[in-house]
Amino acid sequence: MSETTSVIQARASRSPVTIPAIVLVVLSALYVPLRATMESPTVSDALYNGAYLYGTALQIMLALVIVAVAITIGMKQSVGRQWLLLGLGVTMYAIGDICWTLFDLFLEIDPYPSIADAFYVAEYAFFLAALLLAIRAYSGLVETKRPLIAGVLVAAVGFGVVYAVLLQPYILSASLEELGGTWGKIVSILYPVGDVVLMLAPAVALALVVRQLGAGRLARPWWVVVAGALVFALIDSFFVYAEWAGTGLTWWMDIGYLTANLLFAIAALVAKDAYRIT
Amino acid sequence: MAGLSEAAMAVLDPLVGATAASTCVRGTALSLGKTAEDLGPDDLAALEANIKRLLGPVAPESVIDDALRQIEGRL
Repeated sequence: MSETTSVIQARASRSPVTIPAIVLVVLSALYVPLRATMESPTVSDALYNGAYLYGTALQIMLALVIVAVAITIGMKQSVGRQWLLLGLGVTMYAIGDICWTLFDLFLEIDPYPSIADAFYVAEYAFFLAALLLAIRAYSGLVETKRPLIAGVLVAAVGFGVVYAVLLQPYILSASLEELGGTWGKIVSILYPVGDVVLMLAPAVALALVVRQLGAGRLARPWWVVVAGALVFALIDSFFVYAEWAGTGLTWWMDIGYLTANLLFAIAALVAKDAYRIT
Repeated sequence: MAGLSEAAMAVLDPLVGATAASTCVRGTALSLGKTAEDLGPDDLAALEANIKRLLGPVAPESVIDDALRQIEGRL
């Protein structure tokens, strides 16, 4: 076989979503030094604002990628609706980021608590709906009852840990004034509970379902979704704990949220590839 | 030329893994009162209907139709 033929075959076999996935990773990686620069006391206003807006624009782009993939699959198809729900979840997060940027950067109002939090917590609801729909879709093919029970157990144990470590010592005992009013108290409870009950637990259940698909290519996108959910739940739990326990918030936590939503967008592209006619 | 169950397994395994592929084939055989090994070309319609029902919620129609074409092509 000639070298030219090998190159042509390699190009033909390369997935059409490889380049979009690489572009997303590179654009997201560019945010890391920008976000680090924002912490510098000597950073100019222009660079600070530019980096801030770039981060928000990235979240919008990641949401659009997932919604676009879902629309390409088609809303009449169950699997299309599963990806649309995931895309709407990331869209909620992006809208939350837009609101946060508007309050923080342009209106110079403390963005927490605010309407932005309503959109951030809405991601949990859409994520849960997407994963439950996906798990139910596989109920005819593989065992789903035990994974769901495992998910419920993770939710129960996780809630117990959150209650003991965060809710009871810090949030429930704090005054409404400290929490920024009733809305502040509600979202302060919803974030850590959402991380374990609505993000981590369904991700564990989904992982136990898709592992039964072995090396089947339909499992691949859902493994990436599980990875994204684990990153999101972990980073947000760290964030909430660090905030309340006073251990210090660091800028790399922002990178964690971006990584999680990047993984969801990559998952959508992997799904597009998995649904390709071979 | 492969038997129906072998053809179906060969096509469905890379898509949904051996366990789920076996569920499609064995489920069809069971509904016809047969074993997977007894499935023949006459049972193709029943197998296709079962695959469409089970894979419908997890894969786009185009992927399922392609899988069915591949199974037919292997017979």
